[in-house]
Amino acid sequence: MAEPLPPGVSADRMAETLERFRQIVGKEWVFAGEQAASYHDPYPISNDDARYRAHAAVAPASVEQVQEIVKAANAFGVPLWPVSRGKNFAYGGAAPVLSGSIVLDMSRMNRILEVNEKFGYALVEPGVSYFDLYNYLQANDLKLWLDVPDPGWGSVMGNALDHGVGYTPYGDHFMMQCGMEVVLASGDVVRTGMGAMPGNNTWQLFKYGFGPYVDGIFSQSNFGVVTKMGIWLMPEPAGYRPYMITFQREEDIAEVIEILRPLRLNNVIQNAATIRSLVLDAAISSTRSQYYSGTGPIPDSVARKIMADQDIGMWNFCGALYGPPPITDALWSVIRDAFAKVPGAKFYFPEDRKRRPDILIHRAETMRGIPKLTEFNFLNWAGGGGHIGFSPVSPTTGTDALKQYRMVSGRVREFGFDYMGLLAIGFRELHHVTVIVYDKTNPDERRRLDECFNLLVKEAAAEGYGEYRTHIQYMDAIAGTYKWNDNALLKMQQTIKDALDPKGILAPGKSGIWPKHLRDGKQS
Amino acid sequence: MKLITLTASAALLAATAPAVAADMTGKEVFERHCVHCHGPGNEATGTLQLARTRGEDKALLTERDDLPAVYIQMIVRQGLKAMPAFVPSDLTDAQLQALTDYLTQ
Repeated sequence: MAEPLPPGVSADRMAETLERFRQIVGKEWVFAGEQAASYHDPYPISNDDARYRAHAAVAPASVEQVQEIVKAANAFGVPLWPVSRGKNFAYGGAAPVLSGSIVLDMSRMNRILEVNEKFGYALVEPGVSYFDLYNYLQANDLKLWLDVPDPGWGSVMGNALDHGVGYTPYGDHFMMQCGMEVVLASGDVVRTGMGAMPGNNTWQLFKYGFGPYVDGIFSQSNFGVVTKMGIWLMPEPAGYRPYMITFQREEDIAEVIEILRPLRLNNVIQNAATIRSLVLDAAISSTRSQYYSGTGPIPDSVARKIMADQDIGMWNFCGALYGPPPITDALWSVIRDAFAKVPGAKFYFPEDRKRRPDILIHRAETMRGIPKLTEFNFLNWAGGGGHIGFSPVSPTTGTDALKQYRMVSGRVREFGFDYMGLLAIGFRELHHVTVIVYDKTNPDERRRLDECFNLLVKEAAAEGYGEYRTHIQYMDAIAGTYKWNDNALLKMQQTIKDALDPKGILAPGKSGIWPKHLRDGKQS
Repeated sequence: MKLITLTASAALLAATAPAVAADMTGKEVFERHCVHCHGPGNEATGTLQLARTRGEDKALLTERDDLPAVYIQMIVRQGLKAMPAFVPSDLTDAQLQALTDYLTQ
């Protein structure tokens, strides 16, 4: 099919726009026609192929080129969809919310501008991946650790801007962000925090600068194009000891979370630890067809067989201890004694694990900031390769964890999917990320997934649970659940949008924020 | 003092070079973009899945001699099942040609 045009933009105007972009970046860095295909969502859910489809892509190499591109987009009234590396795959990849948008592909801007070992930070451009930064630290023998999400090929900046999480004590990536450079829709360039002061040398050391703190409005947003970002890096600790604790029963999750909360709040559990469900962990090293050939979710008898075969639990808690051995030994004794109260709990260190591949052996690397792609194994659990994350946030209480687990697992199983969930533990809240793996080549399965996902959003909101991040197809739905006081937050975001981007050329529809001319159902 | 010196030199080096070299051999392209899923070892997603679906003898791309160049290029640009497509800004047409030559040599 021909690539779609955005609303109100003629083919001639689009052709003029692309020609202007070629003048700015060089003709080899504008991708249209068949070349735009690699920007489509690799794991689509909608059965309407015309939705969420870019018209073309443009890849600048400098801040100056980004400025010229946004000025041209304003002049021609053509929407851009900025992506850092476009690897946000469970959430739409590089594909736009608004069909016909031009992807502003920042992956050529891939310089590591500074790494400071003394203070523990890096200043990077959007195209720098976790692999890039890790390789740089290794090549220069810098005693700093990254915090990585599961897929290491994504952008360090992009993941932080989308509120991604990892597995070390620096696991909340946006919390570890410090200082930005942003190209606004006008083409003006702004540096935030201490970066606004000429000659200042604390841009990556102190987040807030003077006056209102604005970095947050450029995350999950369409208010500007971030071209540089500081990220704090963890000094290499004096010791490291990963561990895993397994639990045998579904309902154990309530007691486990109650034990875990004070340990995490008091930093006895030091890292952004995760508790993962049986199938999600089993899918790292096996497929569903190895255990079950029936339809629908796997029965309990099969679950027990997998637990026995792979020596894992119904829930598996991976954590790590960081620091000198006397400290980590003391912390471990507290953690071990606390969880030993759960009947059937089992404790493991990497040397206890003999099977390969193994979840603790794998996780022992991510919990020390080694980027990998091992996690992609779970896409092959049921065949068909598609996946999406449903990610509501709840307080770290046993009651909430069990309630959420029952709500979400019940629904996904009712719709014929296996429950593959993880609880990512912050200081005071947990992200309950349920990965739904589906056959992206099966239209009926995509339809069922869509129906299931919309129900999940609605039911979670009815219980006061909101998603922290989502796929492009559900941004409106989820923004609509943050509706307190007659949608006061969205109205304020729209006011900011109209002020910073009056023609609405940056990422229309991102996080449910539409420019004025496309609000109220005028997107098509 | 050593740390300060190292920091300064590291910063200088970083500021003068992109994270990725523009000219890459096919092997370098494979090691940057492909090896994490299609390399040897027991965690590589693509290798594991090809072993399951095509057989152990067809699991490693670097040991295959049955993959036409046009097929490799189509899969890289369009993706296949779990594997997403690679965009031409990140893996250029020239790099894709070098990769194809490397895998079909």
